Amino acid sequence: MKNLNYSAQRRILIICFLFVPIVLLCTFSFLPLGNMIYYSTLKWNGLSKHKVFIGFANYARLFSDSEYFSVFKVSLYYLAGSVIQLALALFFATILSFKIRGKNLFKGILFFPYLLNGVAIAFIFLFYFKGNGTLDSFLKFFGLEGLIQYWLKDVRWVNISMVFTSIWRYMGFNFIVFLGAIQSIDSQIFEAADIDGANKWHKFIYIILPSIKNILELNLILSVSGAISAFEIPYVMMGGSNGTRTFVIQTVQTAFVNGKLGLASAMAVVLLVIVLFVTIIQKIYFKHNGGNEL
Amino acid sequence: MKIKRKFLAIITLLALVQTFSFSAANKEDAATDTKEITVITHRTDLVDNLFQEYVKEFNKKYPDIKVNFEAITDYEGEIKIRMNTEQYGDVLSIPKENFPVSDYPDFFIPLGSKTEMEAKYEFISDTEYNGNIYGISTVGNAQGVLYNKEVFKKAGITKMPSTPDEFLNALATIKEKTDAIPFYTNYAAGWTLGGQWEAQAPNLAGDPKWSNYTVPHEDTPWAEGKPYYVMAKLLWDMVSMDLIEDDPTTTDWEACKGMIAKGEIATMLLGSWSIIQMQQAAETLGIDPGVIGYMPFPYTNKDGNMYANVGSDYQLGINIHSKAKNSARLWVDWFTNESGFAQHESGIPALKGSKYPSALIAFQDLGVKFFQNEPSPADEVGLLDEIDAEAEVGRWSENYRMRIVEAAIGNRNETFQDIMTDLNTKWTKARKTLGVK
Amino acid sequence: MKIHSRILSFLKYLSVITGSLIATVPILVVFIASFKSDSEFLDTNALKLPENFLNFKNYITAFIDGRMMIGFINTTLILVISLTGAILIGTMVAYVISRFDFKFKKVILAAFLLATLIPGVTTQVATFQIVESLGLFNTRLAAIILYLGTDIIAIYIFIQFMEGISISLDEAAMLEGASYIRIYGTIILPLVKPAIVTVMIIKGISIYNDFYIPFLYMPKKSLQVVSTSLFKFIGPYGSNWEIISAAIIIAIIPTLIIFLFLQKYIYNGFTAGSVK
Repeated sequence: MKNLNYSAQRRILIICFLFVPIVLLCTFSFLPLGNMIYYSTLKWNGLSKHKVFIGFANYARLFSDSEYFSVFKVSLYYLAGSVIQLALALFFATILSFKIRGKNLFKGILFFPYLLNGVAIAFIFLFYFKGNGTLDSFLKFFGLEGLIQYWLKDVRWVNISMVFTSIWRYMGFNFIVFLGAIQSIDSQIFEAADIDGANKWHKFIYIILPSIKNILELNLILSVSGAISAFEIPYVMMGGSNGTRTFVIQTVQTAFVNGKLGLASAMAVVLLVIVLFVTIIQKIYFKHNGGNEL
Repeated sequence: MKIKRKFLAIITLLALVQTFSFSAANKEDAATDTKEITVITHRTDLVDNLFQEYVKEFNKKYPDIKVNFEAITDYEGEIKIRMNTEQYGDVLSIPKENFPVSDYPDFFIPLGSKTEMEAKYEFISDTEYNGNIYGISTVGNAQGVLYNKEVFKKAGITKMPSTPDEFLNALATIKEKTDAIPFYTNYAAGWTLGGQWEAQAPNLAGDPKWSNYTVPHEDTPWAEGKPYYVMAKLLWDMVSMDLIEDDPTTTDWEACKGMIAKGEIATMLLGSWSIIQMQQAAETLGIDPGVIGYMPFPYTNKDGNMYANVGSDYQLGINIHSKAKNSARLWVDWFTNESGFAQHESGIPALKGSKYPSALIAFQDLGVKFFQNEPSPADEVGLLDEIDAEAEVGRWSENYRMRIVEAAIGNRNETFQDIMTDLNTKWTKARKTLGVK
Repeated sequence: MKIHSRILSFLKYLSVITGSLIATVPILVVFIASFKSDSEFLDTNALKLPENFLNFKNYITAFIDGRMMIGFINTTLILVISLTGAILIGTMVAYVISRFDFKFKKVILAAFLLATLIPGVTTQVATFQIVESLGLFNTRLAAIILYLGTDIIAIYIFIQFMEGISISLDEAAMLEGASYIRIYGTIILPLVKPAIVTVMIIKGISIYNDFYIPFLYMPKKSLQVVSTSLFKFIGPYGSNWEIISAAIIIAIIPTLIIFLFLQKYIYNGFTAGSVK
């Protein structure tokens, strides 16, 4: 390598370093995506050797029945939830990167829920929300019996309970990512700010926020797309019943309960287009507001 | 530009790698039959205990065959993904949902002709296609209602309810006189409102031809008085009359077993396979398992008889790509004829002439008539499921019954009649789309 | 101290303590359940303390019947290889993107983002066919290669850190004649250590807890991993929650230890120990 000049080195390095990742990306993400698009043009139960090509008929069916899209109302809960989740994560990451007693203990505890797997969480929260369960006992302990609700039976509460579970599970993830990003800020900048007499709020607004902008933007994009395609928690806990059905749950049920893999694939393609659209809008917004190229 | 070319090269290379490995996989042939088989099952709870004992017994007879198990939790979903390749074991439970018999020859070897198998086994018409049989039943289930005898005694109910109204009255009496939950929906588990209910519907028709001859050819199976309507109405009434648990969304399938044993639950609607589990829960709690009773679905047919439909649980099939077809066949035969699995499950064995389990003998004593559904006529195989899928009703899934519970609680802006009308409309439309007479 | 800042300080502690309570209380239920006998579990309230905190029967059952030892061995193998690979891939992509300008840079980054946005549930049929056709079905390599795949979060975290590393370090090395690959290996990699730890933890946990891939792609008994051992006790007709609770606790212990052990690397921040 040493004998090569830097521009040749650079070319070789770019190709070598990107080769494996791109091969993996194509094989395990884009090839299946291509297949999914192909399946969306079929009338097929996902198993039979007899696949019938029907062109855009699945899409036509999807767009002729507004019922398929009515489930997006549920996504609004998750959208609101993801904003709260990111705000909490950012809040905790910020105060725990300043001076505070028991810092490491709190960091560990706040991150802890992320260590659990999905089955454990469904199990825990069934006990949490049921009558006389963990939450009710907890409220009673603080003399707040008046607040007790049918957390899952009451349609006004059930999606809020789902979103709460979702925040509980994933907040630690955003928290640790933000914490890591804040740590990457050069400590000399903070020292300089101290000398200038900046308070914590100023440091947050003028130092932390701009420095972690890319990570924040990515988290926001992933949270929003995650909210639109919310799946695991309402599926494992409620099976999509009692008004908790999301678009992805509907897609999975179309594929495996109704045996229409073609139609389900069309739904997945539509979902991807919606997510992409929303992502691009966010990207444009961030760019417009002075974000950099990433 | 260079990068672009490179990129294309990568894609081409990738495609080559794949074609190559495809052909490599195809070259292996099944010339010799191996002595090791993989059995794929949905019984995750039995692979490490009961089935291991079975293997020991099996190996006494066939010492040189090694039997491995793979248990799948989400059986229907995962096995179908695997069946898109050749990797679905040697012996497996044949998936039931949206998988018509006409596709069986692409996936399983024929186990014998209809005439030859019929002489020996029950439930074989379920897997017949063009005169060949592709699967043998692991166990047959009867359909009825589980109840706690002590609770019924305490409420002073001596006569088994034989109509939906009598059943509702009995539940109301239980609510008044005991602390038990009259009927436990098991709503949260989901599947408990799916197949467990659907399999009971023929009981109300009392006609072996109802499922495969009547339902596909009527426009409104949910019209008043018809089996599906009567069952849906019973569910609606139980919920709206407050005869179920306080909060259906937090029911707990595991806990219900202990609860019915202790008399905290009076009744549940489940197939006969569940009896043994309730009895085991009773034993664990030190309660006499005899408190668990099983009664026929409370509906008396016009001819004055009560009926209990008997249907097959999963059938065992042999992978057409198996490299150990002979060994696999030995396992299937041994499991069916000698393992005693059906008795263990308090169900009906596939082998003709076997004894009925005690819980079902009690059924016979009540004068309940057992019957099996007749298979579809040859030109309509899979038709019923096709209409069901097209209509997106999901007779075997829990969706519309959950919807009834939710509406009866008051969580949806629709009446019972709205739901019935909607189901009928969907059914009519699907039949029209598919051009079914 | 001013009243104002005292109130702020009080609110600060109140919020972290509330957050911590909300985070921990639900998990206590599992911990309590893991010490109960099965009849006690069916019979008592979830919050009622077990009769005997020394009842380790469930732990023994979970560990032995759940064959968790095999699970730990397989999980460790898969974790070590796929994490090493994922970190190499992630840092390589991030290095190239943060240090060089070239055509398609944005396209590549967008491709990684797009891959993350694809709803994975519906592409499983196709993915399974690909894995099978590569001959990877029922091998550990199936899981390893699927976990190796795209991870936009990791790439972004690395880019974030690399942008914090002054270009002048690279330039100094180049003056001494170091090749790019050397700069990557001896300057960049050591400096992004905290980011590597963050990625290891985040990605490691999601691999550790994932049961979908091991279930579908490596169902052979000898290939069982830790997360799937929970399912030994979940049946279609019967689940032993008290044993599952014990299995959950056993599964948490190593993650917790590793997390506690590594957390100081994350929190120290990389500027503290680096060349300035």
